[in-house]
Amino acid sequence: MENVWYLAAVWVGLALLATLFAIWFKISTALSEIVVGTVAQLIIGVIVGPNALGSSTAWVSFLAGTGAIVLTFLAGAELDPDVFRLKWKEALVVGLAGFVAPFLGAAAAARYVLGWDVGPSWLAGVALSTTSVAVVYAVMLELGFNVTEYGKAILAACFVNDLGTVLMLGLIFSPFTVRTLIFVAASVAAFVVLPFVTGPFFRRYGGRVSELETKFILFALFGMGGVALWAGSEPVLPAYVIGMLLAGTVGKDHLLIRRLRTLTFGLLTPFYFIRAGSFVSVPALAAAPLVFTVLFFAKMFSKMLGVFPAVKAFRYGRQETTYYTLMMSTGLTFGTISALFGLSHGIITAGQYSHLVAAVIGSAVIPTLIANALFMPVHLRPDETREAGAIATTQDTMRGKREHV
Amino acid sequence: MYRRILVAYDGSEGARAALKQGIALAKALNAELSCVLVEEHLPHYAASISEVKAAKEEIDAHFRTMAKQARDLAALGGIDMETIVRQGHDVETIVTIAKDGQFKLLVIGYHGHSAIFGRIMGSTAQSIVRLAPCSVLLAK
Repeated sequence: MENVWYLAAVWVGLALLATLFAIWFKISTALSEIVVGTVAQLIIGVIVGPNALGSSTAWVSFLAGTGAIVLTFLAGAELDPDVFRLKWKEALVVGLAGFVAPFLGAAAAARYVLGWDVGPSWLAGVALSTTSVAVVYAVMLELGFNVTEYGKAILAACFVNDLGTVLMLGLIFSPFTVRTLIFVAASVAAFVVLPFVTGPFFRRYGGRVSELETKFILFALFGMGGVALWAGSEPVLPAYVIGMLLAGTVGKDHLLIRRLRTLTFGLLTPFYFIRAGSFVSVPALAAAPLVFTVLFFAKMFSKMLGVFPAVKAFRYGRQETTYYTLMMSTGLTFGTISALFGLSHGIITAGQYSHLVAAVIGSAVIPTLIANALFMPVHLRPDETREAGAIATTQDTMRGKREHV
Repeated sequence: MYRRILVAYDGSEGARAALKQGIALAKALNAELSCVLVEEHLPHYAASISEVKAAKEEIDAHFRTMAKQARDLAALGGIDMETIVRQGHDVETIVTIAKDGQFKLLVIGYHGHSAIFGRIMGSTAQSIVRLAPCSVLLAK
C-alpha cells in the first residue's frame, strides 16, 4: 500500500478491532492484537497480496520496535524494590532456576527432538525461558495473593527470571567484539548515572505540559537502544534494566506511568503485537502441530524440573509449590519479543517463529488455567479480610458497618 | 418472614427494578437490606502490569459509582443498606454470599446480563434461581 495514511488507518483499525475483541472476550489487548495480526495477515495476504499489510515497512517497524522498548521499560519499572528486598534470596534462587532450566531444556528439545540448527535452538531456549509477570500479577491481584508474602515472592522471582531472559537475549547472539565491550561500558555508566540524575532532574524541570519526563525517558531508551543495536545486541536489554533501576523513582510516579501507558498502549504496542502476530504463519502451524506440542511441553517440563525443587527448598507445601511452579511457567511479552528478535535477525525461519509464538501463547493460557483449577492454595488467600488494593474486598472487613466504597 | 434481604445489582435496568423492589420490601417488612455487586474479571493474559493496573482502576471506579448509586437509591427510600462488592463469577458469588449471610430472600433482575450467553448457557437469573439457598424474587 503506497499511501502511508491508508496503511496507518488499516493498522489503527485493526488495533481498534483487537481492543473490541479484548473487551468482548475479556482477554488482554496484547493477546487479542497478536491474534488479529495473524488473521489479518492471512486474509489481507490472500485477498490483496502478501505485503499488503506492510509489516516490514520502515515506519511500522520503528513504531513496533519503540513499542517493544517502552513496554520492556515499563515492565522493569513495575518492579517493587521493597518486595524484592524482602524476598531477594528466594527470588534469586527460584528466578534463576526458572530461567536456566527451560533455557537449556527448550534449547535441547529444539536441537535434539526437532532437529533445529544451533542458533534457532538457543533462540527457542531464550523465548521459552521467560515467565510473564503481567499474567501472574493479574492472577495474584484477582485472588488477593498480591498482598501475601507468598504472592510477593512469586512476583519477585518472575522479575529475576525475566531479567535472565533479557540478559541472555541481549548477549547470546552478540558478536563479542570491541563494540560489545563499549556497549557494556556505556550500559554500566548509564545504569550508574541514571538513578542519580533522573529524580532531581524531574523535580527541577518536570511536571509541565511539555512532558519533559517522557522525552527524557525516550531519549535514554533510544540512546542506549542505539548503542545496543550498533554492538549487535538487542535494545530491549538496556530498556529493561533502566526500567528496573528507575522503579524506585519513575515507577512510583503514578501520573508519569499513566502518561507513558497512554502513549504505549494507545499507539505503540498495537503496532508491536499486531506486527508480531502478522508474521505467524497459520499454514506452518497447521502443517506441523507436533512442533508446537514439543516446544510447549519442553517449556512446561523443564520449568517443573527447575522451579519445583527450587521452590520446595524454601519449605513450601506440595500444593503451594506446584501453584508457584505453574505461575512461573507462564510467558507472553518477552517470549514474543525474543521470537521476533530471532526472526528479524534471520536466526529463525518464519515457520520456527510461528511455532515459538504459538508455544509462548499456549504458556500464557494453559498453566494459569491448570493452576487455578487444580492447585490454588486457597488457605493462603487473605481470607475474608483480604485487602488486595481492591474495593472488591472492602466489604469483607466492614461487615456490620456502613461501607464507603 | 424475610428478616434479611439481599439484592444483586449490576447497574442494569433489571437490576434497578430489583433494587427498588428490595427497598420497598425491606421497608414494608422492616427487614435488613444488603446489596451485592459482582466485579468483572481482570483482563486475562495481559502484556504488562500497567495494563492490569489500568483495568483494575477502571473497574474499581465503575463499581464505586454503582455502589454509591445503589446506596443513594436506598437512602431515598429511607433504608440504610449495606453494599457488598466482590470479584468473581457472578452466579457463584451471589449464591455464596446469600448462603454465608443466611439471607432469606434474594432479589434479582430478570435482565441485566448478556443475552447471547443467556441463550447459549442459560441466563444468570435462571442459574441463580436454581442454585440459591433461599427464596428468589425475579424483578421485572
